[in-house]
Amino acid sequence: MDCHNNSPEVQVGKDTLKFLLMGNPNVGKSVVFSKLTGVEVLAANYTGTTVGYTKGKIRNLKKDGILIDVPGTYGLEATSEAEEVAVSFVKEGADAIICVLDATNLERNLNFALQLKKFDIPMVFVLNLVDVAEQQGVIIDTEALSKELRAPVIPTVAVRNVGLRDLLSEMEKVEKREKEVCYTAEKELLEEEESRWKEIGRIVEKVQTLEEREPSFIEKLGYASMQPWPGIPLAIIVLVVVLGFVVGGGKAIRGALLLPFVFNVYEPAMTAFVGSFIAEGTIIYNVLVGDYGVLIKIIEWPFALVLPYITLFYIALSTLEDSGYLPRIGVLMDGALRKIGVQGGSIVPFIMGYGCAIPAILGSKAATTHKERVIVASLVSLAVPCTAQTAAFFVLLGDESIWMLVGVYGLSILAMIVGGGVLNRMLPGKVDPMLLEIPNLLKPDLKTVAQKIKIRVKHYLVEAQVPMALGILFAAIIAETGLIHGISDFLSPVVTGWLGLPGEAGLALMLGIVRRELAVLPLLDMNLTSLQIFTGATVALFYLPCLSVLAILIKEFKLKTGLAIAGTTLVAAFVIGGVINQTVRFISSIL
Amino acid sequence: MSLYTIKKEHRCIIENLPKIGLLKSLGLREGINVAIKSKQPMGGPVIVQVGRRCVAIAQDIAKDIQVREVS
Ligand SMILES: Nc1nc2c(ncn2[C@@H]2O[C@H](COP(=O)(O)OP(=O)(O)OP(=O)(O)O)[C@@H](O)[C@H]2O)c(=O)[nH]1
Ligand SMILES: [Mg+2]
Repeated sequence: MDCHNNSPEVQVGKDTLKFLLMGNPNVGKSVVFSKLTGVEVLAANYTGTTVGYTKGKIRNLKKDGILIDVPGTYGLEATSEAEEVAVSFVKEGADAIICVLDATNLERNLNFALQLKKFDIPMVFVLNLVDVAEQQGVIIDTEALSKELRAPVIPTVAVRNVGLRDLLSEMEKVEKREKEVCYTAEKELLEEEESRWKEIGRIVEKVQTLEEREPSFIEKLGYASMQPWPGIPLAIIVLVVVLGFVVGGGKAIRGALLLPFVFNVYEPAMTAFVGSFIAEGTIIYNVLVGDYGVLIKIIEWPFALVLPYITLFYIALSTLEDSGYLPRIGVLMDGALRKIGVQGGSIVPFIMGYGCAIPAILGSKAATTHKERVIVASLVSLAVPCTAQTAAFFVLLGDESIWMLVGVYGLSILAMIVGGGVLNRMLPGKVDPMLLEIPNLLKPDLKTVAQKIKIRVKHYLVEAQVPMALGILFAAIIAETGLIHGISDFLSPVVTGWLGLPGEAGLALMLGIVRRELAVLPLLDMNLTSLQIFTGATVALFYLPCLSVLAILIKEFKLKTGLAIAGTTLVAAFVIGGVINQTVRFISSIL
Repeated sequence: MSLYTIKKEHRCIIENLPKIGLLKSLGLREGINVAIKSKQPMGGPVIVQVGRRCVAIAQDIAKDIQVREVS
């Protein structure tokens, strides 16, 4: 086995120190990483946030060093794709391992730490989450622990920067190593299991003192939220509150602030500006500020319509993620989810899918079987609308009737149940039963959450704008040049005949290839009937995932599976949309 | 008896458990004392407190874990 084969993209100098950031899942590695390197990576309060690795140059270190944020792992036998990444990194070797320990769960963290020590790589231990440990009445003697581990132990509260300076000065003491030694006696590790736990017991006895405390309110809440009663009603309340916050809040911001600005200030100003040097009525004038005017839509759609919802959704999601509440919903829903071939823990990628399918598909790497991964990725691509599309639905359907919105989301859930059931039977293999650590319920750290919201909104602004702008430009050109009529005629058997939509709606289908919300937004200005709105929304819901998602699907699952998923969504969109249209028409014709 | 039959808020000592690597890594091993914290309906998991942390264990696995009840 070749264990020194560094991945090719690493560009490090000869003297660059290589540090691996390792530890059990959910102990704060990614927070430490972001703080030490300034590279923004997402952290969240559940197992399996980091599924790939990120490298970053360490700031404020007197030497030249890179740090690698590795997915968390419970042991050295990998049980998921994410854990494989971690294991391969240790085998590759490093100049030092920064091993992060969770002070609230020392025993289990030491189990991993002692295994890592066998690799004969210098180690620095970070005892993180000491703030939470203290609240729970757990006191750990770091000096004694350091003696036991024969390596430095730095107590930290990573989210509040406590202890990170001490960590840096320990890291400065690390020397570049001539030869990276690698450990191959994996068998030995397994055999030692029993004596290792004895050793752990002895260490914990020596370094940890527990004070009896009344459980705090948040601990009681953490307990209550995983009981069917009151957990299930609580989950429903959380869902309703989040929806109210996003839908109501978004509508208010849009109605009170953004739309008046766009229509009363921006549009007239832009129209006048363009009109001052381009004659009204010409094609160029219309492309710029006409019905599909690029200069108008490029502000109206992404900023006035979509951005408020995106921001509010990510405020809610980021807060929930850091609270540790999401895995509890997974526990409550496991029984139901198993019927569609996924286990409770996979609720997290589904919820993330309501933000964006890309992190959801990547996040599914934490799944323990390939089958489960494929099911999660397929269902998210098929039936989970991303926030941008959700925003478009809120505008299109919410302004029509709240029941239409409920209808479309009901259809989405129904499709997941049916699709999951089918895939579960069709795909070979089994889905592992649930085995999941439930994180402590924590009060989210305001700064960390704010940072995360910023990363995600920024991501939308950066990633979405170019395809969105090109899509809008394309729409404006074909609408204003009259090309749209040719296209409408061509698509009319499907669009008009089968789906019952006006010919122009073909535009939404074309733009929908680029981004999901673009399959909805063009319908806004078409004066559609209620049935047409519902059909259009249904088609858009199931229609192709956006181009970036398609790229990720192909990258993660190979071309064949990627195209199969995309093809299925396309067929589902037309079949379901058409059936709804034809059925309603048929029923109303006989009534 | 199996872990799945233990009632909520009761404690037991694990006597025998299936060879699943992750179980051991999560801290479940022979001889340790655990408490049942919740049981989910519809064939859902049981939640077991191991040390200071809770772990959700699917019914299928919990049924294969042999325990001795203590009070
Ligand atoms: N109160 C408190 N919260 C912390 C501390 N360090 C990290 N957290 C929170 O703990 C959670 C887990 O942090 P992550 O950095 O995502 O953990 P990780 O080790 O990278 O987890 P994986 O990527 O799943 O292996 C996040 O919600 C953090 O905000 C700390 O010292 N105190
Ligand atoms: Mg991480």
